[in-house]
Amino acid sequence: MRKIFVAGLAFAAFLVAGEAAAQKKTLVIGMGSADAGKLDPHIASTTPDKGLLQYMFNGLVRMKPGQISPGTIEPDLAESWSSNPAGTEWIFKIRHGVQCHWNYGEFTAEDAAYSIKRAANKATSSYSNDFSGIVSADAIDPYTLKITLRNPVAGFLGYVANINGGNMVCKKAAEEMGEGFSKKPIGTGPFMFAEYQPQQYVRLVANKQYFRGAPQLDEILYRYVPSDASRDLAFQSGELDMIYGKQDQSWVDRTKQIPGVKVLAMEPGELSTLFLNITEKPLDDIRVREAIAYGVDRKAIVAFKGAGTSRAAVSVVPSGYLGTDEHASLFSYDPAKAKELLKEAGYPDGVTVKTIHTTLTGMETFIEAIQAQLKKIGVNLDVQLVEHATYHAQIRKDLSPLVHYQAARFPVADVYLTQFYDSASTVGAPKAVTNFSHCNVADDEIRAARVETDPAKQKELWKTAQEKIIKAVCGVPVYEQLQLWAWKDNLDLGYDLKGSLNLAPPVTEKTHFLN
Amino acid sequence: MAAFLIRRAAFAVVTLFAVLTLVFVVVRILPGDPAQLILGDQASREAIEALRARLGLDQPIALQYLSFLANALRGDWGVSMVTGQPVLAEVLNVLPWTIDLTLVSLAFGVALGVPLGVWAAVRRNRFVDYLVRVASLVGLSFPAFVSAIILLFLFAIELHWFPVISARKGSLQAWAQSITLPAISLGLTTAAYITRVTRSAMLEVLSEDFVRTARAKGSPERIVVWRHALRNALIPIITVAGLYMSTLIGNSVLTEIVFSRPGLGKLLVGALNQRDYTMLQGMMVIYTLAVVVVNLISDLAYGVVDPRVKLG
Repeated sequence: MRKIFVAGLAFAAFLVAGEAAAQKKTLVIGMGSADAGKLDPHIASTTPDKGLLQYMFNGLVRMKPGQISPGTIEPDLAESWSSNPAGTEWIFKIRHGVQCHWNYGEFTAEDAAYSIKRAANKATSSYSNDFSGIVSADAIDPYTLKITLRNPVAGFLGYVANINGGNMVCKKAAEEMGEGFSKKPIGTGPFMFAEYQPQQYVRLVANKQYFRGAPQLDEILYRYVPSDASRDLAFQSGELDMIYGKQDQSWVDRTKQIPGVKVLAMEPGELSTLFLNITEKPLDDIRVREAIAYGVDRKAIVAFKGAGTSRAAVSVVPSGYLGTDEHASLFSYDPAKAKELLKEAGYPDGVTVKTIHTTLTGMETFIEAIQAQLKKIGVNLDVQLVEHATYHAQIRKDLSPLVHYQAARFPVADVYLTQFYDSASTVGAPKAVTNFSHCNVADDEIRAARVETDPAKQKELWKTAQEKIIKAVCGVPVYEQLQLWAWKDNLDLGYDLKGSLNLAPPVTEKTHFLN
Repeated sequence: MAAFLIRRAAFAVVTLFAVLTLVFVVVRILPGDPAQLILGDQASREAIEALRARLGLDQPIALQYLSFLANALRGDWGVSMVTGQPVLAEVLNVLPWTIDLTLVSLAFGVALGVPLGVWAAVRRNRFVDYLVRVASLVGLSFPAFVSAIILLFLFAIELHWFPVISARKGSLQAWAQSITLPAISLGLTTAAYITRVTRSAMLEVLSEDFVRTARAKGSPERIVVWRHALRNALIPIITVAGLYMSTLIGNSVLTEIVFSRPGLGKLLVGALNQRDYTMLQGMMVIYTLAVVVVNLISDLAYGVVDPRVKLG
């Protein structure tokens, strides 16, 4: 018995003897997904993939690190740019001497032109729609890129910024690797792809030749830790330095209790909207749609979701976007009026509306709250829960008269309006994106604003579009959910973090640990 | 023996074929579109249709099935629709992690379950027996992910003995650190199960004549219980261990998630969420093969522990 005891002790000691404390030059980030997806910046569309790819890629221009407003756009791979007065011809002067990762040579206008064509090609890009206005992209000389547009594009610089299709890939690498590019993405950013361990992590190493200077960190370990609880525990035990939070208020309150930790609800806010199919009974009757709009209590939803992590919607476009009507006249909560409208529409005893909804936790609790609110006015929301992929498929087949969708987009009103409210984007149409409501009331304004070169007029058009959409109740915007992150306070990000369009905090050449 | 193996192999082929066909059809009946999921929600329908064509999903389903079978016969399981990696490579990447966890937790379950079961049987209807029975009932009804969180909280956060992210490799020490908690978490349920089966098998055997004979001829109780009785109780234990091993492979997904370990369970759930048809098909073959092989091994084990069992 004693022998067993001694052996057990020895085994325990052997297990406990930890590794020697390494000098802190590696940033370990815990992401809330089981594995990496396709690591190609022109295809990636999920938070985990976009968050990671931003460390490896640059745009021609970029939003200032930590900011999401197009007003903060500054040079990235392009040192300067100009356009003709009509806004249809753009010249970008490419920075000299920028090196592609792993000795793929200098990044020139040739690479930039290639990259834009790649992002515009529907065979190689998820964002080809964004580039449909581009006629040509050519290198005039190694450091001059010319882009010609069919017509002016609202907020064009945003499309060549460091998100989605605007990420610049290195031509030689992309051509050489073809489909394999996503297994070793090559860009020009502060960190370079080093290693991928399935279901475990992606390891990035510092790009010592980075044009803004060698990064102070040596490595980023981007770990896939799908369980919220385990991510929290690993953060507490010091195995993770920065984590993607469980997206709810209780997580914020709990995590703030841990000493030496910073918690942030950052931009962009994902706007939750109830899209109402205006072509289908009973929602084809505007009075029913108005009743639903009157029946949703935005304040109560924000209180339910947590004031520190969410805020009430201001319009059918999320707040803070270029062109958002920050004081749009949304329907105010008025259950009496809602009941009256239902009665007028011929539903004195209430009406049933079906919705197909995802089982994603954060979204599910929301629809349950909405269901309870609508019940009070006599709308019986028939919520049919399905898993996420099924939800995505079925709402695109018009199977769900009411669609709850949560999304943030590039912060220019045009993007949101086009994808969700332009009739060309109606689900089922050839150019279908996410117009679930079959809305068509503001096509003229949305399309006119897209090519309007006078900013004041453009803003006016967007405002009118939002008013019309609200009035027709194509969608009932409810609240905005911010992105929750936490990190150890000995990590100095090197900039002031307000938000990130790539949905994870940027890590720049200046990011470092204080001790 | 040879005839037995051949018959089992033939049976395995039929099973595999049936499973393959079923999986092929079922994944395509499921709503959800891999192309949509890969490209995300800002992609236009045109881009999605283009990707569907490249993945071959625009072909008639019968044609897809035939080409899938033809490739499968040549040993080509295709590439994952999401990552573009060969299915087999993806599976082999994480397979060692699953095999590790399954074997170690099963070993833990047997090492704990068999002695407890024997002990309870010997002390039938006494305090120890009740204790073991209650404990095993608790163990059975206790979900592995709950015990996982409790173990992590105790041993990783409070005591700092183990890492939370149990996916270290490279040295024996790292391996041991990473496997201990997951194997205990998963093995507790197995242990509970095996305890109960061992107990009831032992009770039956202990009441048989040869046990009385052994006692009558003066064999020490230790020899009677462990050598004579347990040996004869092994068959049901092996059956259960074998059956349980097949489910362990599938049950391990929650353990993999909580302990952040790679593994087949996570791969399968990920493929399902992404509607990665090729991946799902490939993995189903692996699972089916695993079940067939485990069953075969338990059948062979019967012959080893009990010479009266004749295979053929």
